[in-house]
Amino acid sequence: MEQPVTVAIIEDHPVVTEGVASWIRSDPGQRVRLVRTARDLTGLRAVPWPLANVVILDLELSGELVTTQIPGLVAAGYRVVAFSGHSDPAIVMETLDNGAHAYVSKEEGRDHLVEAVLAAAADRPYVTRSQARAILADQRPARPALSEQERQALLLWFQGMSKASVGRRMSITENTVRQYISRARAKYAATGRTAPSKDALLARAIEDGVIKPGEILPYKSFARAGGDLPSEGAPGR
Amino acid sequence: MTVVQPTALMSGRYQRAFTVAVVFLVAGWHLAGAGGQLLHNRSAYGSFAFQGAMWLVMALAITVGTVLVLRGAPGGRLAWAVAVTALAASTAAAAASPPGQMLAVNWAWGSAGWTGVLVLLRRRFAELAWFLAAEALATLGVQVRDGLHRTDLAGFLAVLAWSTGAQVAIAAGVRALDAAAGQAAAAARSEHAARERAAIAEVIRTARHARWLALQESAVPLVAELAAGTADPGDAQVRTRCAVQAARLRRLLAEGDEVPGSLVHELHASADVAERRGVAVEIETAGLLPQVPGPARRVITDAAIAILTAARSQARITLAAVAAEIAVSFVADTGAAVRLPAVGEGVTIQQQQDGGMLWAEARWNSR
Repeated sequence: MEQPVTVAIIEDHPVVTEGVASWIRSDPGQRVRLVRTARDLTGLRAVPWPLANVVILDLELSGELVTTQIPGLVAAGYRVVAFSGHSDPAIVMETLDNGAHAYVSKEEGRDHLVEAVLAAAADRPYVTRSQARAILADQRPARPALSEQERQALLLWFQGMSKASVGRRMSITENTVRQYISRARAKYAATGRTAPSKDALLARAIEDGVIKPGEILPYKSFARAGGDLPSEGAPGR
Repeated sequence: MTVVQPTALMSGRYQRAFTVAVVFLVAGWHLAGAGGQLLHNRSAYGSFAFQGAMWLVMALAITVGTVLVLRGAPGGRLAWAVAVTALAASTAAAAASPPGQMLAVNWAWGSAGWTGVLVLLRRRFAELAWFLAAEALATLGVQVRDGLHRTDLAGFLAVLAWSTGAQVAIAAGVRALDAAAGQAAAAARSEHAARERAAIAEVIRTARHARWLALQESAVPLVAELAAGTADPGDAQVRTRCAVQAARLRRLLAEGDEVPGSLVHELHASADVAERRGVAVEIETAGLLPQVPGPARRVITDAAIAILTAARSQARITLAAVAAEIAVSFVADTGAAVRLPAVGEGVTIQQQQDGGMLWAEARWNSR
């Protein structure tokens, strides 16, 4: 039997911490073990080695956004899963850019948080619907170029279909749907600021055959992207 | 008209202005710089006619390159065809210069380099670097064939430094400006979105206030009478008054048709009814949505009402900007297919039934 993944919850509302703990307890496989809860980051910073494999981080602690603390946590060896009520795509993007493995909105917690933690512990991509939404809304000049298929899979997933239904809609297997969505996520790991967690995610994605090294272009001149993506015809992309 | 248009076009316009500036620079250099040098040294060449012909070939390459870049970023094959033509003309012109005077009378090096900058400007930087390196090597090759002395090498390096240096600097500058224009457009877009949100909030507030005032005049007195017992619900006349007020309330809630971004607003209003029935409705948007005209909105909200009425316990409505289209989708546990029109008022609707879940998507194109 595999060792359970250890997790710490950093959350300033005890009732939310309690809810997350109950989701972890009710996982039939008991695949995650809660080892620490805290209302801020000081406890984690006090010790030089990681206390858990994964940190579930509320993005707003005592009224302050803590997205800028993510690089520090990642550098200390934690994988970070952001869990937040802020579903603004710009905040989601900043969170991922800073090296968080996944973003789970508070509405998505029950269905996705434990799975996101497990994926993060294995350095595998996990894309929630709110993350898909942020990717679809991304207009930043340095965003990665996604293929039509990747974009369509993300759109249908965002719309609320199950991955099996997305596959039927696109006439592909559920596995291929996962592949498209994971590849889009991996492309994001190759952009923006560098972080060990992003490198690890990318390395695992290459190992799993989700993406080929040649498909990871760290920066694509958006001046050309207009010509390469005919359906995204707006100039300046 | 779409909401996204003005800001999305902005960076495109800036980029075009940078392209035009580079076209003027390249054409100006070839006419005045290279052309002037060619005429000034006309007696030095073995065959002035051949040099003139090469100058015309280069001019042709620049013209073709200009047409290509003004029509949008050219594909790799076309861009390189122009660049290689310019490189060939430059090398031929250098090779036909009298030995020993090549560097002094060579007009072509600069022109070929600038032609490369023109067509490769928005391709990967490495491509331009390869091109400029190939050109420098070709010219050096001609020099070596003629015999390379230390003074020639110094002259070669001097020309390389100022000509290639300037070309690299201009190319890098334009790329930096492109990036800045893209960022400026993105910033303008988010500011625009924030302004729009504020405007919507204000309009909704005004509409609420107007509704509240209308209720004060009609419904409130009736409710007060019912509460005080002065109006008897058993009385047919009171029941009619109640029905009229209920209809007015419904109408008041649906009014405010010209609210910006009102499709979301109207979908929220449609969801209200289902939520009161105990259906959990989520509504989410992705991206900056285009404005949808009234008739198309009605087709979409009619579909929403049909689906939400059939939903048993949950429904998710999403609105996503997909290129020039808006995709409004519904996922709900209707148990069975829902009768929806396939097209109407420029809206196309598709649906798929999967187990007890219905997925339907209405698309409207803003172009």
